[in-house]
Amino acid sequence: MLILGIDTSCDDTSASVVENGNKIISNIVSSQNEIHQKYGGIVPELASRRHIEMIIPVVDEAIKKSGAGFNDISAIAVSKGPGLIGSLLVGVCFAKALSFAKNIPLVAINHLEGHIISIFLEARPEFPFLALVVSGGHTAFYIVDGFGIYSELGRTRDDAAGEAYDKVAKLLGFGYPGGPIIDTIAAKGNADAITFPRGLIKESFDVSFSGLKTAVFNHLKKYPESRKEDVAASFQSAVIEILINRALEGARSNKVKRIVLSGGVAANSVLRKQVRAKAFEQGIEVYLPSEHLCTDNAAMIAAAGYYHFENKEMVDFTLNPKAYLPLGSANG
Amino acid sequence: MKLLSKNEDETKDIGRKLGEKLKRGDVVCLYGELGSGKTTMVKGLASVFGIDERDITSASFTIIAEYDEDVPFYHIDLYRVTSEDVPELGLQEYFGGGGISVIEWAERAEGEIPETSIKVSLNYTDDNIREIEITGIEL
Repeated sequence: MLILGIDTSCDDTSASVVENGNKIISNIVSSQNEIHQKYGGIVPELASRRHIEMIIPVVDEAIKKSGAGFNDISAIAVSKGPGLIGSLLVGVCFAKALSFAKNIPLVAINHLEGHIISIFLEARPEFPFLALVVSGGHTAFYIVDGFGIYSELGRTRDDAAGEAYDKVAKLLGFGYPGGPIIDTIAAKGNADAITFPRGLIKESFDVSFSGLKTAVFNHLKKYPESRKEDVAASFQSAVIEILINRALEGARSNKVKRIVLSGGVAANSVLRKQVRAKAFEQGIEVYLPSEHLCTDNAAMIAAAGYYHFENKEMVDFTLNPKAYLPLGSANG
Repeated sequence: MKLLSKNEDETKDIGRKLGEKLKRGDVVCLYGELGSGKTTMVKGLASVFGIDERDITSASFTIIAEYDEDVPFYHIDLYRVTSEDVPELGLQEYFGGGGISVIEWAERAEGEIPETSIKVSLNYTDDNIREIEITGIEL
């Protein structure tokens, strides 16, 4: 069974054809990085306009590359949120129109569920597992008991981890996006040079990155001559320790033997290495999607769409996207 | 009016007191450097309108986070936006309605924000003390 996935939740326009929820037939991602780089971040209005330009060619290419025709597509799966509202609207409106014109059933997917399900495109972790979704817009921990069964364990109280990377990169005078830049610079620095605070919220699985960002700001104000490599490495080490500590603690206290990482920050080289090492010590299995499936893509939306379509969870044309949409909430 | 805050809880408290004085259509502008406590203050403020403080996180990524409460609450964060791009955000749509708009990095939207808006400046005095100056309303 073929599902066409569409994702326009942030700054990438993506469409993909996936077979039976686990085999990628085509996956087209049109990145807008070069457009947003000069602004030091995503400009929502520019992102929406670019999605409008790109949505038809991207879907066209995904269909062409798959070798299938629209008649072979069983359902269209589209991201309904969370994300930038103007961006989401382009994907949702296009998916509704295509569904109507070609008479193909439509399913709506929470973008965060897509990230969790992305691992099933490459592996088959057994349920239950702990999922950490960590990106520029999100940082949350879930216990996953099956497809569609997510309970949130904790989340960030303020900044997403990827956002902290972007903000610290800016403080250090580097460009956008901050994650890959800091990852590279940090490799040349001493992670123990500065002890930054670890934002772990007591008696919960919530985390915080705002205090860490403030600590970097204050450090740079007091010691403007600090080696940037050391600041980047020390900052990164704090972020990673917060994420791994919470993920492993969450797995332990819920008696879960597996953890799955996803989202753009899960492509970070140091995080990937350290989470494997630390989980191994505790007898916990780690599942990491390939880097190109960690960042936003429509294959993960098509994969999640397969399970919702199997459950006959179709939506009608009253579907509207939502910028704020926690996974596991009433509409989530 | 000038207030001092020694920690996050006190900043939230000031936010709560400010929230209790707000009425539909009010626009609150927050000014202050990274880490000065703007989002923390929004947490306190939003709690008055029935929003769990855990649900208020940084809005830098989505720029505008809408909460459909009895009184609609709009958390706007212009950190990523340059002044030239502000007119394209359609902020007037939020200000004109019956909701409460709270704007972080409001200096990027000078010219767009109503003259009657409430202004809150958060400044570091040292690592842990913040001086909070509020104009346009009495607590």
